Amino acid sequence: MLAKIANDNAGRLTPRGALRFFASKLAPTVAAALLSFSAHAFDLQQLSDQLAKPSVIHGNFTQEKHLRALPQPLVSKGTFVLAKDHGLLWLLKTPLQQDYRITSQGIARRDANGWHLLPNKSAGTEQNRLFLAVLQGDSSGLQRDFDLQLQGQAQDWKLTLIPRSLLLKQVFTQINIDGGALVKTIELLETQGDSTVLRMQDSTADQPLSDAEQHDFAQ
Amino acid sequence: MRSNTILPSERLLPRLFLILLVAVLALAGWQWRHGAPLSANLMELVPGSTPDALELQAEQRMQEPLNREMLVLVGHADRQQALAMAQQLAERWQASGLFEKVQWNLQADLPALREQLLRDRLAMLSAKDREQLIEHPDAFIQQRVQTLFDPIAGFSLVPSQDDWLGLTGRIQNSQPQHGAVQLDIGSGALIADADGKSWVLLRARTTGNAFDMKLPLHVADLLQASRAQAGEQGVQLLAASGLLYAANGQQQATREMTWVGGGATLGILILLLLAFRRWRVLLAFVPVVVGMLFGAVACVALFGHMHVMTLVLGSSLIGVAVDYPLHYLSKSWSLQPWRSWPALRLTLPGLSLSLATSCIGYLALAWTPFPALTQIAVFSAAGLVGAYLCAVCLLPALLSGVELRPARWPLRIAERLWQWRAALIKRVPGAVLLVWVLLFCAGGLWQLNSKNDIRQWIGAPPQLLQEAQAVARITGFQPTSQFFLVRADTQQQLLERQAALGQRLDQLVNMDKLQGYLALNQLVNLPAEQQQLRDALNKLEQHWQPLLDIGIPVDALQAEVAQLQALPTEDIDAALKGPLAEPWRTLWLGKVDGGVAAMVSLQGLNNPALLRVQAVDLPGVQLVDRLGDLNRVFADTQISAAELKLLSCGLIVLLLMLPFGFTGALRVVALPLLAALCSLASLGWLGQPLTLFSLFGLLLVTAISVDYAILMREQIGGAAVSLLGTLLAALTTWLSFGLLAVSSTPAVSNFGLSVSLGLAFSFMLAPWAGQQKHAL
Repeated sequence: MLAKIANDNAGRLTPRGALRFFASKLAPTVAAALLSFSAHAFDLQQLSDQLAKPSVIHGNFTQEKHLRALPQPLVSKGTFVLAKDHGLLWLLKTPLQQDYRITSQGIARRDANGWHLLPNKSAGTEQNRLFLAVLQGDSSGLQRDFDLQLQGQAQDWKLTLIPRSLLLKQVFTQINIDGGALVKTIELLETQGDSTVLRMQDSTADQPLSDAEQHDFAQ
Repeated sequence: MRSNTILPSERLLPRLFLILLVAVLALAGWQWRHGAPLSANLMELVPGSTPDALELQAEQRMQEPLNREMLVLVGHADRQQALAMAQQLAERWQASGLFEKVQWNLQADLPALREQLLRDRLAMLSAKDREQLIEHPDAFIQQRVQTLFDPIAGFSLVPSQDDWLGLTGRIQNSQPQHGAVQLDIGSGALIADADGKSWVLLRARTTGNAFDMKLPLHVADLLQASRAQAGEQGVQLLAASGLLYAANGQQQATREMTWVGGGATLGILILLLLAFRRWRVLLAFVPVVVGMLFGAVACVALFGHMHVMTLVLGSSLIGVAVDYPLHYLSKSWSLQPWRSWPALRLTLPGLSLSLATSCIGYLALAWTPFPALTQIAVFSAAGLVGAYLCAVCLLPALLSGVELRPARWPLRIAERLWQWRAALIKRVPGAVLLVWVLLFCAGGLWQLNSKNDIRQWIGAPPQLLQEAQAVARITGFQPTSQFFLVRADTQQQLLERQAALGQRLDQLVNMDKLQGYLALNQLVNLPAEQQQLRDALNKLEQHWQPLLDIGIPVDALQAEVAQLQALPTEDIDAALKGPLAEPWRTLWLGKVDGGVAAMVSLQGLNNPALLRVQAVDLPGVQLVDRLGDLNRVFADTQISAAELKLLSCGLIVLLLMLPFGFTGALRVVALPLLAALCSLASLGWLGQPLTLFSLFGLLLVTAISVDYAILMREQIGGAAVSLLGTLLAALTTWLSFGLLAVSSTPAVSNFGLSVSLGLAFSFMLAPWAGQQKHAL
């Protein structure tokens, strides 16, 4: 009876834990892909250094969601701001408007009243840990979970991520990232046959953060 | 003087007894054929306060994982190191063969999850989402469109084409969450971060349960070895399990049995040797051994097994059993030349009386509602009968031919004591002495306070408790021992009743009085609610234009609605089948005598008193609070124990009236009662609380000390010799009971202390038993 105090039922969380994780799977992967990696030939370390150089990147994105049952992909467009010391702003413009922010505090969404941290994705979660590890050029996080293959040269490269763990394999078959000085395309191939393609266009590393953007990160 | 020759019956008795002994040994051998019939289940010792079979079943269901599972946190500042060690340990444990299952990571069965999400879309949709779909279908569709484009929350286990309306995603997100444990993506391990370390959760389920005799010790050993292994690499382990408490209890019992049993044996042997100066006098221990044998056999025969606690407390029987041979051995101081059979003949009436009174005292314990004490009573009574028979039938034969020439110094001590007493009585009249004693009693009783708590049974070391608390803090899981039992005629009524209870519990959660709870109505919607959803889905066509705008074909949506309409109305049994239902599965008790029943389990409770109020006015809802109930039973039992004591005294008076007459019997019984009163007062003076166990101890002392009063009243061989006999008997008994006082289990140590005090006062008061005229 006393042991009841001591005991716990951690195992009961199992499926729920998995669900929470999958619910926000995409975020860190996208962020990670945008940021940096490490390794060989034109090796991962060089790529990692190359991608870590710019302190702020502005750009437009197009997201195509290819669902097996739909003849046409679901296409959405918007802009993004990636700041080395702050995080990522992902501003969806069409067909609907929605702003997202990924920082060390977690993933937030903006509504009429301002930014709101999404529940389950608050500070200290696994997703953020991974995201920050990548942000700080710590490639060990990614290499632990994925097999990384890099092809091409500094101005035209292709990185393939293949999940190692059974858990991830049930979600993704593969993630492909193409780029030059900056990341151009990210393709996520899901195990069930759907896929998502993110195209970064007109990316530039020349502009600093605007006041409004700084304000967004600060909140 | 009677003749020193041996009577014919005395030639026959040893043989008869040997035949009986062989028979009992054979029975013991048969009882032990499958190993020791021992049990360590603490719950067997406390009163079964619940007559209700369902409540008992519910309780066992809640207890089961506690007694079989061990939870270990593997912690290191570096997450990888912690993970690697968790993996190593898991492999080692799995190979040990102690565990049915060892789990440090999980590979979720996604297909099974998907299947359940799809099948239970209507049954599992949360109240909030249900309300939105029914009341605000436009907002519902708008949110769905948003989710489809959302780069972050857009991922669902079930592909969009199987669930265009996104019900499964909503169910996923509305699952209740507890604790601070996160899933590690790569390894699949569950990890909590606290105190600057990453703690990997390692869970092991044993093949047997905590009340298996060997298993807990093996598990504790394995844990200790694992701790050492982890420590070499700077990895810290925190463990929590009912098994560890069981192992600790067992180790402690073994240790204490060795100390009490060994210490008492050694002390008594030395005492015997010093007093009688003959090696063969050690044969006086034969009745003790025989007594233990009889006690164990009777216990197993009656209860099917024997509890380790019975052994610990029963080992004190040594001191009482050795009194029988002492009765006639001590006559060697006055009876010269001493011969075994004649000495026995002289003391036989006293011996028999003392057996009868002791048995009455012990058996009075058997009528308390404590199974532990019933066992001890049976063990002791049977043990005393065995020891008596052996002392009367066999031992004199073994000692025949021995001429005892005991040391003179013990007798001189006794004579000195007797003289002091005589001098005291000369100076202070008896009545004045009595007033002093009564004043002492009154003063002590004034300061006596009573305390009863189930925790007195458990001498859990602080280290185990601290670790368990640390595990609870780090993981955030704080299950409570209290739970609600909900009964109803039908499943529908059951879910309604749980919902009513849930509303009250939600308030407690909002007030931070409760961390959370689990109830079946969180898992499955009422049939009526499932029907409301179907109706709302039928009307959804008018609102789903935004979905068509982004390119979803209208026939796909129509097909999905048709599919949803066709989903059967789920009942509790169906909903419990899928993997998502795992946390709820233990809560369902199913069909029970004409109705159904389920439990509601609680997490992180601050104030148990608040719970009792929650069930008020809710039909079919009952709080099960075993700890609280037990504490109440403890308090109630104190009163019945006192009644039993008086009853046993009455019986002893009736018995003693035969040899001593009414006033004599009353006097002999009044002395132990006065001794008990003095002991109570001493507890007060010492600042020790009166517990149920000290009361039980005094109950026992009454029985034993009647023996001393009888011995003093009989005065065979003179006052000093009788006093010496009483002193020896008290010393041996004290050696065995007094050692219990050092036990680290509060209940046992309380028992030992009160018996020790009682013995001391009984010895001091025994000379006032008066003198019986013998026709010697």
